[in-house]
Amino acid sequence: MPDVPRRVADAPAAAAAAVGAPVVAKGVDRESMAGAEIDRRRGVAEWLWWFARRQPLGLAGAVIVLVLVVTAILAPALAPHGPKDAAFPQYVAPGTEFPMGTDHLGRDILSRIVWGARLSLYVGLASVLFGVTVGALWGVVTAHFGGASDTVSQRVVDSLMALPPIILALALMAALGQSVTNVIIALAILLTPTAARTIRSVALSIKEMPYVEAARAAGATEWRIIFRHVVPNTLATYIVLVTVNIAYAIVVEAGLSFLGLGAPPDEPSWGGMLTAGTQAMETAPWMIFFPGLAISLTVFGLNLLGDSIRDLTDPRLRGGLG
Amino acid sequence: MRRLGVLLAIVVALVVAGPSAPDAQPTAGAQDKPRHGGVLNWYVYGDPGRLDIHLESPLSVQQSISGIYSSLLHRDPDDPNKITGDLAEGWTVSPDDKVYTFRLRKGVRWHDGQPFTSADVKATLDRVLNPATKSPRCGSMLKPIVASVEAIDPHTVQIALKFAAAPFLEYTASAWCRIAAKHVLEKFGDLSKPEAQIGTGPFKFKRYERGSVIEWEKNKSYFIPGLPYLDGVKQYVLVGFPTQLAAAKAGRIHMWDTGPLMRKTEADELKRARGDQVDVYQVTQNTIFVAFMHTQKPPFNNPDLRRAVHLALDRQELVAKALEGAGVPCAVLDPKLAGDFALPIEEVQKMPGCRQPKDQDIAEAKRLVEKHYPNGVDIEASVRSIGNYVDRAQLVVSQLRKIGIRGTIKTYESAAGFAVFGKGDFVFLPTQDRAMVTVDPGDLFSLLYTTDAGSNWGKWSDAKVDELTERGLKETSREKRKQIYHEMQRHLLSGSPSAIPVAWVEGFHFVDKRLRGYKWSPTIYDNNTMMKVWLAP
Repeated sequence: MPDVPRRVADAPAAAAAAVGAPVVAKGVDRESMAGAEIDRRRGVAEWLWWFARRQPLGLAGAVIVLVLVVTAILAPALAPHGPKDAAFPQYVAPGTEFPMGTDHLGRDILSRIVWGARLSLYVGLASVLFGVTVGALWGVVTAHFGGASDTVSQRVVDSLMALPPIILALALMAALGQSVTNVIIALAILLTPTAARTIRSVALSIKEMPYVEAARAAGATEWRIIFRHVVPNTLATYIVLVTVNIAYAIVVEAGLSFLGLGAPPDEPSWGGMLTAGTQAMETAPWMIFFPGLAISLTVFGLNLLGDSIRDLTDPRLRGGLG
Repeated sequence: MRRLGVLLAIVVALVVAGPSAPDAQPTAGAQDKPRHGGVLNWYVYGDPGRLDIHLESPLSVQQSISGIYSSLLHRDPDDPNKITGDLAEGWTVSPDDKVYTFRLRKGVRWHDGQPFTSADVKATLDRVLNPATKSPRCGSMLKPIVASVEAIDPHTVQIALKFAAAPFLEYTASAWCRIAAKHVLEKFGDLSKPEAQIGTGPFKFKRYERGSVIEWEKNKSYFIPGLPYLDGVKQYVLVGFPTQLAAAKAGRIHMWDTGPLMRKTEADELKRARGDQVDVYQVTQNTIFVAFMHTQKPPFNNPDLRRAVHLALDRQELVAKALEGAGVPCAVLDPKLAGDFALPIEEVQKMPGCRQPKDQDIAEAKRLVEKHYPNGVDIEASVRSIGNYVDRAQLVVSQLRKIGIRGTIKTYESAAGFAVFGKGDFVFLPTQDRAMVTVDPGDLFSLLYTTDAGSNWGKWSDAKVDELTERGLKETSREKRKQIYHEMQRHLLSGSPSAIPVAWVEGFHFVDKRLRGYKWSPTIYDNNTMMKVWLAP
């Protein structure tokens, strides 16, 4: 089994291939394009085998994330009851009828966990895609044009990053009001400055590359250079940011819901379920055990996957986990 | 013979041990001699925000300043079932029962050293009787019956009634009718701020840190010599059952007497944690769990929709799950508290909306909703984040989903919620407890159902309710009064009022065994000045 090429310029292509994203990096050199071509030829099964050998923990993470995604998508079919359906006896211990028991209002905890996966994934994905994308574009544009606009924008980023994230999230939720959409907005605002700062640092090095200079010499406009040459080459970092921050967003959402400022109370949020569980820790410990387990497993899986993707795309860390 | 002796011994032992029945009073250490000193650690369930006893209606406000003020009359701290003089030494009543003359205590001073006189009583009562004041508790009780207040001399006040009203003394003794200083009202305009808390009560207001703690200190010049026993009282703002229970289990609070009370789960957990260090009692609270609909906003401006909610709510399930069985479902008046003024519970539980099983009522409710909203209707369900209100709201919303009313829950901090609800800025309140100010059966109707009721948040107006309430207040024959209130209850349960009576709430309260001299009152607002409470070593 040939090893993957360990070239710096391959990073975007390898990362994109790892998540099945199209490789759009027109500006990469011929060698990296050849490397990507080799990867594609291997076929999915071969690539998975290679990934499993190189990143066994990453594979475990991918399996957990896959289970999460399937659960979220198939929630209506998988959940035995409605997540808000309080039609059963309270505090039924886990058993054959209710595998995860019922809560203090007589709702099936398994159904709420299953629907909670959908809520967590939705909030995590939407907030991260929105926040990191806006931050990435902000970082790329300000890095590319530089000057006063870059200085001012970086001070704005400094200001936002100076605020403790959970306090900022609480303040935003208090101001916006309690709803799933507002949780997404608050999380996106939380994630944007970090993404802007990280992607800016990548874009600063890319804009000095010879192919950017060549494009400029060929008469390309600045916006064309940004979107055809700089943005595609920040993709690897972008993907790592997205993967790692989904776990972070899910934890913050659970934290906000735990504090009563996240999703509305009857929504099946894992954090909200934990709050309810604290009322009956002694009499119904399953009320905190299962949502706690769901949060832990999800974050664990996403972190493992994120670390593996980072390792694959970072030449200094490749193979570090495997 | 020996067997009979054993039996007798068991009976005697049971009698001595006392019942675990509702409303049992703390007895521990009753024979001990009161001891001066110590600070009572207590809690308040939400931040009170504004502290004006005459303008606000939450228990958190009343409790925050309960030991600061005195009233003309109050519930006897040694026997809260009796009404006795507080600032009034005594009173006389005219032969037609329409004029009450109160003799005031002499030598009483306000906490700032100013003398207390009849001018303060007149200023207070004029304030709450003024329609512009919109006093939701004291004002809404006294306005319909009081004609005028006169200061005869510095130590005599005369109150003339519009008619002979049976509950007048009950109303005057209410903890919401505290007497405020005329000079303080003139200086501050209202009593909302901490610096305006100048009373004649056993404690002085010392400190209020928003969201954290309220502190009183002993009034060394209190008009009853030797009282209070405590050096001070600290009320921590503890929001939500888990926090309150954690404080109780850790021994950080000496009692849990404020609403919402513990449910059986919390009471059992506390007993397991603190064993014989605490006494736990199941009690009635004279408090009703109500769901409010705004009658001037869609969809509940339509009586059919209000009726649909009335039919769909499963009160028995709500009591079983939200109150863990400690409550009386469906009743407009609680037979345990109002006796035969309440409709027999058997009759109530056969009426549409209350009868079991619910199938027939759910089908009718669904039909009423579909008649106006074929695809169902979305509403916002507003709720204060205190006690287990959010859990109750989830149950109510879950029940209404069955008939096509889809609720989205919006939560409010305690004081913010009261401000919003009082202004009528809501569509639906799935749960809100309203405690009665007195034990008079007419209190509920003056508080919730008349057009001018202090808690008529849903802006409902019904001529028959207004007429029956007034007749009930004027009626002196007990039997006739009973008939009036029975008619009222049937009218409310078969109609579409804004406030749906869900259940009369019961609960559990605990007292640390070191705390002595505390007596549970028939209303949750009374007997919480702590004037005779003391701490054993």
